[in-house]
Amino acid sequence: MRDQIDKYIGKLLADRSAIPGAIAIAAQDDVLIAQGSPELAKLAGDTLSRLNSLALVAARPSLPFAEFLIARAGKGETFILPQDTETRTFLHDIPFLRREDLAGDPAPELARLLGSRKGVIVEGVGIIAVGAITVEQAFINYSSVFHSTFVKYLQDLLTDGFKLPGEREAFESFRKQWLKPLSAEGLEFVDAISLDKEEILLEIERVGRYTVERGLVDSFFGNISACAGDLIYISQTAASLDELKGCIDPVPTDNSSTTGITASSELLAHRKIFEETGARVILHGHPKFAVIMSMLCDKKKECAIKDCWKECPHVRDLGGTPVVAGEIGAGGLAKRVPPVIGASGSAIVYGHGVFTLGRDGFGEAFRTMVEVENFCREEYFRLLKA
Amino acid sequence: MYGWTGKLLHVDLTSGTCERREIPTEILHAYLGGRGLGVRLMRDYFRLDPFDPQMPLIFAVGPLCGTNSPTAARLACVSRSPLTGTIYDCSAGGRFAWRLKGAGLDVVFVTGKSATPVVLAIDGDRAEILAAGELWGKGVKETVAALKGRGSVTAIGPAGENGVLFANIMMGEGNSIGRGGLGAVMGGKLLKAVTVQGEGVTGVADRERFDAARADVMRLFRASPVIFGELGIAEYGTPALVDLMAQRRMAPTENFKSTFFAQSANYSGPAIRKECGAKKEGCYGCPIQCKKASAKGEPLPEYETVNHFGALNGISDLHAIVRANTLCNELGLDTISAAATLSAFGEARGRFPDPVEVDRLLTDMAFRRGDGELLCQGSRRVAEALGKPGLSMSVKSLELPAYDPRGAYGMALAYVTSNRGGCHLRAYPISHEILRKPVPTDRFSFSGKARIIKIAEDVNAAVDSLVACKFAFFGATLEEYGELLSAVTGVEYGPESLKAIGERIYLTERFYNCANGFSMKDDLLPERFYSEPGSAGEGIEIPPLDRARFQEELQKYYRIRGLSPDGTFDDASLLEKLP
Ligand code: SF4
Ligand SMILES: [Zn+2]
Ligand SMILES: [Zn+2]
Repeated sequence: MRDQIDKYIGKLLADRSAIPGAIAIAAQDDVLIAQGSPELAKLAGDTLSRLNSLALVAARPSLPFAEFLIARAGKGETFILPQDTETRTFLHDIPFLRREDLAGDPAPELARLLGSRKGVIVEGVGIIAVGAITVEQAFINYSSVFHSTFVKYLQDLLTDGFKLPGEREAFESFRKQWLKPLSAEGLEFVDAISLDKEEILLEIERVGRYTVERGLVDSFFGNISACAGDLIYISQTAASLDELKGCIDPVPTDNSSTTGITASSELLAHRKIFEETGARVILHGHPKFAVIMSMLCDKKKECAIKDCWKECPHVRDLGGTPVVAGEIGAGGLAKRVPPVIGASGSAIVYGHGVFTLGRDGFGEAFRTMVEVENFCREEYFRLLKA
Repeated sequence: MYGWTGKLLHVDLTSGTCERREIPTEILHAYLGGRGLGVRLMRDYFRLDPFDPQMPLIFAVGPLCGTNSPTAARLACVSRSPLTGTIYDCSAGGRFAWRLKGAGLDVVFVTGKSATPVVLAIDGDRAEILAAGELWGKGVKETVAALKGRGSVTAIGPAGENGVLFANIMMGEGNSIGRGGLGAVMGGKLLKAVTVQGEGVTGVADRERFDAARADVMRLFRASPVIFGELGIAEYGTPALVDLMAQRRMAPTENFKSTFFAQSANYSGPAIRKECGAKKEGCYGCPIQCKKASAKGEPLPEYETVNHFGALNGISDLHAIVRANTLCNELGLDTISAAATLSAFGEARGRFPDPVEVDRLLTDMAFRRGDGELLCQGSRRVAEALGKPGLSMSVKSLELPAYDPRGAYGMALAYVTSNRGGCHLRAYPISHEILRKPVPTDRFSFSGKARIIKIAEDVNAAVDSLVACKFAFFGATLEEYGELLSAVTGVEYGPESLKAIGERIYLTERFYNCANGFSMKDDLLPERFYSEPGSAGEGIEIPPLDRARFQEELQKYYRIRGLSPDGTFDDASLLEKLP
């Protein structure tokens, strides 16, 4: 248990989603342990001991966006409702507690809220997320809340602008200091991958690590595949992109075996993309600016469709990359992405993420994803200024 | 009242009376329905012998049944198992549960023993006990066909009539109330079948909230590779697991002597589809439709069944396996226990049965003749009678299903902590240890497993009380089902409050078992798993389980559960403190 706690505190530091010195994780086996910054560790332990769950992360996010969302929320509101896929699929909504709701010991109230949601924001404290059966799960839920609040705050800025004292300054510092330039520079790729199993596995593992190390995606969200003759090698469902060793399934293209039942939920999309484009590799992740920009549509006012994320029939465009709607897994994404991805080698799914291709190897797919995200980033800041 | 009907049909077969009674609302809120409600209703009877005429046989639906909540047209059947001696419940789908709810009932509570074979016929408000006449002695198919005009049918076959300790109660549409021998309890009462007709609708308190929650559930189903993925159970049924378990080297083979069967591809999901023209079937209104039937409409075997009539008995012929499955369904035998008992018998005598012998022995079991007289008692009693008790691969006399515990340590622990004996469905750790849902755990580690198993047992006790299907939880969670339940009933439930209900149910069951003499000495895996390795391959080693580490984790589990080091209760008044 302790090694798990250390590991995920390390991950929260490495992906810079939490502030060093303001991270705690609690876990319970037959005894409860809580590690990390003392005050948060106490809160984490007190809250977890009231829950029939295994782990809990309490950390102060490295960006004040979740706090701003609370401060910007109307009186009487008790939760925020981001529009991205993570929220829609897994979080449903994100409840929050304001500072003034915190009189006395916050643990009972937190436990009550976490009794029906995976993550909660507490003003002045941070994001508290629970993991029903593993520490990793608590980490994933923290990451989801971090991701979703990031996306929602930046979206809200585009429509409503800055409203609070200090908001603009904080945002400037986010832009200048927190955000790092994205690039593929200095990374090594196999130019044209062979059909060799070992080489393919190693290359998938390596590229997975790159996507996280370079800050392109958060570790948990995405999937990677390579096509080799009659097999598709694809990362497993619920696998972390930076830890793919042992988590890649070989799936026969003719479905003659079902060992790939553990493969990514996007297997169908990957398979169709290979069929449609003849590419060798596919990279999929949820870079944040692409997610934000994909949800901007200038026809929102007049459009009769309300559930854009799954029903929008249009192919929109972001700097040459097609944007389509469609839900994950057996939802519509697997139908809408394959026909449009071939031309540019990239496609964005509404509120969800980016798919890119490599005709010979992962270098092309990785660089394309960097370009797409960089374009969306610039485009976002351009719009914000305008 | 929304969701529940609040009504119980009390049937006394001794006096031949049927009477509608009220169920206290407080009990419904605290135990939901299905397994929880049935277990609660056993409080005054759990010490009775399973074949005591007063032993109740309880059919209970849940508050979601009758709404279009995904996978919720199910019921639980609860009694005491003659095979294991434990409290027993089994969840089953089909159309029967839906009709029962439509007849305005949450529970049918059958007690007493008829003097002659009878059928219980429920039609809306009316219920009557009819002479079974010619039907006694008949197979399941014929019985169901004869009663079709009376609505949905659940019936026993010859196995139940003859008291086979692992006789099933068969639901007309190919589902079954399996494993623990509740078919024999029903047979002991001389109750051949129950029919039900009902058109009532289940009230939903908040329709808009319900629709939103249902959409959330469906989205998660679509996002789950195990459910709606192209290699998932909607496509291939549970035999989708055959290839996976072979690759993971944990497919029980030749009475668990090894864990890999080279011919298993003969009965994999894709092979069954190709050979039998499998088409989708399933429980009433279920969007998943994980059951498969042949082109002729014959139900095809589940994963456990293909493995146990296949690898476990060294049989590679798919058609022989399908035949054995069909025969079990017709005779009303549990496929897992029947096949595992044959396997233990086979190892004990030094030869596993071939397909022809399987057919003969299954029939002999159901009619208790020849070797069947011994075999009908299940593997523990067979192995003991043959002087080789170590060859029964069972826990608390319930034959283990098709997940070798040496290949998944959470599963090893869950087999022994299950309140109904060696069953995979109580904590279902295969979900995370193998299928990576909701998140993966390390299958070769005990770390954290005691807590994980405890939590999962609580979750699943709640799921079995809703009653929803376990497979739904390869995608959805109690978060969404709590929403459905709140929307249907108008009473607020969430994951934590549902887990608290699950914990109450689990503790009640364990309390009953302990009162009947169960303790740590029964929380035991067969010796083989601690001393013999499984089959290595593809870079995977399957060493024997580490007994000390296993015991250590079991003690942790007892502590987390608040039990004594002996696995029993210090507090004799536990039940009085529960609603
Ligand atoms: S998933 Fe299968 S077993 Fe479960 S309710 Fe649906 S059809 Fe029945
Ligand atoms: Zn995605
Ligand atoms: Zn639109």
